Amino acid sequence: MTQAVRTIVLLIIGFVTVDSTRAAFGADSSTEIYSKLAKLPADQRAKQLEEGARKEGSLNFVHTWRGKIARDHVNLFQKRYPFVKVEMGDIGSQDAAERFIAEETAGRHLTDILTLGVPDMAVILKQNLVASYPTPATKKILKQYQNFIEPQNRWTPWYWAEHGISYNTDLVQPDKAPKAWFDLCKADFKGQVSFDPPETRFMAGLYVMMGEAKTKEWFKCMGQNQPIIQQGHTQRMELMLSGDHAVQGDNYFYTGVEAKKKDPKAPFAMVLSAPVLSFAGAMVINKNTQHPYASALFVDWTLEEDSQNLINSILRGPLTIKHPYLPDDVKLVTYNIVGDDVTKRLHEAWNQSIGRMK
Amino acid sequence: MATGSLRWGMHSRSAPLNGGRIVVIALVAVLAYQVLVPLLLIVWTSLKTIRPGEPGFLELRFTLANYARAYGISEFWEASLNTLYFASLSTFCAFFAGTFLAWAVERTNTPLAKLIGLVTLGRIIIPGVIITISWILSASPSIGVLNHILNSLTGVPRLLNIYSFWGMVWVQSLELTPLAFLLMSAAMQSIDPRLEEASAIAGAGTWSTFRRVTLPMILPAAAAAALLIFIQTVESFEVPLLLGGRARTAVYTTQVYFNTSRMPTDWGLSSTYSMVLLFLSLGLLYVYFRLVRHGERYQTITGKDYRPRRIDLGAWKYLTCAASLLLVFFITGLPFLTMLYASLLPRFRPPTAEAFAAMSLVNYKTLLTEGGYALQPLWNSTVLGFSAATAVMLLVAAISYFVHKTRLGGRKVLDFLAFTPIALPSVVLGSAFLWLYLLVPLPVIGTLSIIGLAYLTRYLPFGLRFVSASMVQIHRELEEAAAVAGGGWGKNFRYIYLPLLRPGLMAGWFWVMVHAYRELTISLMLARSSNRTASVIIYDLWSNGSFQQLSAFGVIMFSILIVLVAIAQKISARYGIQERV
Repeated sequence: MTQAVRTIVLLIIGFVTVDSTRAAFGADSSTEIYSKLAKLPADQRAKQLEEGARKEGSLNFVHTWRGKIARDHVNLFQKRYPFVKVEMGDIGSQDAAERFIAEETAGRHLTDILTLGVPDMAVILKQNLVASYPTPATKKILKQYQNFIEPQNRWTPWYWAEHGISYNTDLVQPDKAPKAWFDLCKADFKGQVSFDPPETRFMAGLYVMMGEAKTKEWFKCMGQNQPIIQQGHTQRMELMLSGDHAVQGDNYFYTGVEAKKKDPKAPFAMVLSAPVLSFAGAMVINKNTQHPYASALFVDWTLEEDSQNLINSILRGPLTIKHPYLPDDVKLVTYNIVGDDVTKRLHEAWNQSIGRMK
Repeated sequence: MATGSLRWGMHSRSAPLNGGRIVVIALVAVLAYQVLVPLLLIVWTSLKTIRPGEPGFLELRFTLANYARAYGISEFWEASLNTLYFASLSTFCAFFAGTFLAWAVERTNTPLAKLIGLVTLGRIIIPGVIITISWILSASPSIGVLNHILNSLTGVPRLLNIYSFWGMVWVQSLELTPLAFLLMSAAMQSIDPRLEEASAIAGAGTWSTFRRVTLPMILPAAAAAALLIFIQTVESFEVPLLLGGRARTAVYTTQVYFNTSRMPTDWGLSSTYSMVLLFLSLGLLYVYFRLVRHGERYQTITGKDYRPRRIDLGAWKYLTCAASLLLVFFITGLPFLTMLYASLLPRFRPPTAEAFAAMSLVNYKTLLTEGGYALQPLWNSTVLGFSAATAVMLLVAAISYFVHKTRLGGRKVLDFLAFTPIALPSVVLGSAFLWLYLLVPLPVIGTLSIIGLAYLTRYLPFGLRFVSASMVQIHRELEEAAAVAGGGWGKNFRYIYLPLLRPGLMAGWFWVMVHAYRELTISLMLARSSNRTASVIIYDLWSNGSFQQLSAFGVIMFSILIVLVAIAQKISARYGIQERV
């Protein structure tokens, strides 16, 4: 039995060693291509990119949007560039990152590009799995979103998402609605404010907005106000709109705005007096991409007009044009990645103050 | 040869390599490949603080740090205690309700028995996440339809609260009642009624006969049902996550989820937690074997002819009918009606004239007009469900035969290997298969095969308990008679055991097929553009779309599966295994 176990483990070691070696040899090719492309004048660069993509003919892309909106997005690209066939998988940020790491570790370069929420990106950056891709496409990004651009070009932001406070207007009158994040701790909202289980992307935003001490203080007072912890952003919004509870302590606004668009009587309102936490969704190119030109073409396209208009039409945050429903003067707190140590401390504080159960 | 096939069974340790032994070796090889590799990966990872793939992960240096981290916190023990209460109460309620329904349907002249059986089984088809949300919409203190009705009848608001420990037990019990029903009804179909008749002649009443004759005869099935329900509840996720969070009640799975799910996934801690489930399952399996160790006591299917007979309950049959109908209303009827109601609305709201006026088929239209979006995954799931269920049941029938009907050395290893996957959480199993086929250069990534192989491992323990419960009821005298008449073990297995196992095989096949159709975690981890399954669509709709579209998809899925089950039953009846007793 011991011998058998040892044999299996050695077999796995063998595979990993062989494949890792193979991966290491081809590691710089995409980075070299991209640094050469960066030196070319704009028209030549565009021409070379398109010619290279045409030769490659396909790419594998993991979208973290799910379902119809992901398909519509890719279909729009294929309409513009019919010579690149996109094989798309659509899974959440965490699954996408885990699977990407597994593939690369095993030396199977199956994914060319993936898109992730930037706060979820730390682990793949740490493992040095992504190509540095400097692109002139980011010049189109509006001034208020330029914090999302990464100096080392390891990711390319292409939309943004928000975390904010919203409420059911049947259950809370506008004059009694919360105005600031600490208002959620008021006795009026005891047992009425809902959150998803702890999410790094939300806590990182709070940390950037108020600093560590205030964030912990907020966790503490929130915990004493008996918040509702329930999994699923969309479901929570639907439950709130149905009258199940009064306030979303943290949720994407677009689900409520969408519900209101479908049914103007939907009792939804956003709290815009409190800062809105905003992080980017970004494209990363696999360092070992098998389709470097097609991947670059796709990444650049995501910041072009047709892609940004689609983002606008589905009520997400475009980066190069005006937001579909948020006013220009909304207080945005933009952020990218916070350190591992901070993340760990925030999770511990959440578990201690809010997550603790019977 | 005829007697030889029996001889290797009796004196296997010294027997030469023959057909039976080759089959056993092949079975062990299949199980080792399907089960041992993921199991090894989990044990290995639990002893490492380094993530899979990072340098040093494969070095032979181990640590117990994950164990200290996992079990050294008071929250783990509090959650474990909650889990014990939750699982024990749910097991008791589900077992009691399922056994009652199986008895009423299979052993009595309760009116509408067939309908009650069909509607109970129909519940298995509806995915757990939809059921849980249906119960939130039915019994939430603020918006629950039942609370609205009760409030208008009694004037007492918020009478029901699904967001409570008892709400969790209620939903989980109803969720698992059909499993108890399936296992117990398969066993009850195989009871020789002469024993019950003898009890009645001796003056025992219906209850006394059930308690002292019927129940002891179906002990293996009862033990299997209790074992599976208990483990399923310990493993359950949707109910604790959607209701437990609001009830502020942490159980084992939510504790694991909250401790391991942040980015990046803590595989070491996750694997360490799954070791608890492994040891718990093995402990329960040991208890199960102790309970059924005198296999000959449960052998009710013999060479003597018998005709199933139903107990005449007299006027009491109307009471059993009413009680059964009430149960199936809660198990299937209410969630299905809520799902149907929600599927017709643009936005969920309690049933009012305004809500009924807003009803339309737009959610169905959206789903069905999007080309192959929903249709291809539905087809993929149909293929996977049929093939996984068939493969699992054939494999477990063979395993069960060698475990229970031979004395071949190492036969318990077969049972152990086939039962072990019950302790492997789906997320860990999915990840293990992903890693395995990233490393092994077989062209299965992105195909239905990789999901099918993972399903095979996932559902082996369930299929095995279904078949084993039926296998121990078959008396060996039938095989001995066949052996005397010149039948080898292969012929005996084909012509004696398979036909007699039909109730257990069909019940298990149905259970595996439906669960393979519903399975989400493994499918999500292994899905790519061309092998998406129906449950991945459900997840898309859940996480991205709306409960209304999700409900519409649930109604479509329910309809398809009802048709599939009807076809399978027809095929089985016309061309399948013929009963030859």
